Amino acid sequence: MNLKMIREQSELLAALSNTELEFFESVSREIRLAAGEILFEEGASADTFFIISEGKIGLEMTIPGKTPMTIQTLGPGDLVGVSWYFPPHRWNWRARAMVDTTLVEFDASQIRGRCAENRDLALEVLGVVAGEAVARLHRTRVQLLDLYRSV
Amino acid sequence: MPSLVAAVTSEERPEPMLPRPFRVLSNRRETPDTTTLAFASEDRVALGFNPGQFTMLYVFGVGEVPISISGDPNDPTILTHTVRSVGAVTDAIVGLEIGDLVGVRGPYGVGWPMATAEGRDLLVVAGGIGLAPLRPVLIDVLANRDRYNEVSLLYGSRSPTDLLFREDLHAWRARFDLNVEVTVDRSGEGWFGDVGVVTGLLPRVSFDPASTTAMVCGPEVMMKVVGSELENRGVETGSIHVSIERNMKCAIGFCGHCQFGPDFICWGGPVLSYDRVIERLRVSEL
Repeated sequence: MNLKMIREQSELLAALSNTELEFFESVSREIRLAAGEILFEEGASADTFFIISEGKIGLEMTIPGKTPMTIQTLGPGDLVGVSWYFPPHRWNWRARAMVDTTLVEFDASQIRGRCAENRDLALEVLGVVAGEAVARLHRTRVQLLDLYRSV
Repeated sequence: MPSLVAAVTSEERPEPMLPRPFRVLSNRRETPDTTTLAFASEDRVALGFNPGQFTMLYVFGVGEVPISISGDPNDPTILTHTVRSVGAVTDAIVGLEIGDLVGVRGPYGVGWPMATAEGRDLLVVAGGIGLAPLRPVLIDVLANRDRYNEVSLLYGSRSPTDLLFREDLHAWRARFDLNVEVTVDRSGEGWFGDVGVVTGLLPRVSFDPASTTAMVCGPEVMMKVVGSELENRGVETGSIHVSIERNMKCAIGFCGHCQFGPDFICWGGPVLSYDRVIERLRVSEL
């Protein structure tokens, strides 16, 4: 999978040196999902992660007895999943393709292993993943304010 | 800014507190609590306005409220307002029927800086009912599309059922010269669009931060978050414009009900540059 095509779109890939980008490329593959297909299930092992090259992924919370609720959508360049980086490496949400979607899938255990050997890489990856987690937390807090409700 | 004295002694507005009679031409339900009404003046004098301005709408015997104009600035014969029902006067406005008479004062206030946006990328960011005062911007921009570079509308709503101007959104989305991205805070069945806050849409659209004008309208927390995100992306704070809402009464800068720090919003606003209000937006209860 040639990652240079989506490097500009992705904060994670843009942060990597050419050498590390080649390594990421070697542990990646392209996958395509049709609209409605599940990418991963809530509670499953997060041994991969993804970057969207085209399309849209919805993160869903499953609610027993009810239709799943989409709590956030992600688009081109977005990182799908941060749980792969942090123990216990389990997905907290279900991810589903909202439209026909193309993603790059990465082997998370290989990249975690590489990070364990290379402190600089670990810091770069942690900076992006934690930054993404903080940004999502901030947006979720704003979302919870229910700003557009009628008074 | 023109002087207050000039405003109240102007021959064009000899009686600034005297409403003109307008009759309801149409009443279209946008959402369960929001309605778009078209009015025509009884005196047949056109009411020209700049995008972002407002009028004082007076329901006889009930009261008067400031409402942004949501119609076509190039057609001064029709006055259009989009009103959310939130109190006694707006309840009465939403309930008006074709042929009913209301009083109208205005237009008032400083609108969006259309001229300074020409030759630049334009980001229109709306939240909830905030799309209403920005609709005239989009209508005007699309009527003069060659004056602007990349133009994008980012619109955040509470839920799919709360989306305003659905026909416009469909028509705007079909155009190749306008980027339209819509997101909702809460999705429902049958919604295949985006879910999340409106700032999450910024990476989806193309703009050159050094040459971008942003016009932002929505709840103040939303405008603060959007302004901060745009600033982080390199847009100059002086090129970000927000529309501030306060309790306007006289609408001509006299009574002081709408004071927001050193500004009377009815007179110096409602549209102000983000760099002018950024500190005040961080002050509670101002």
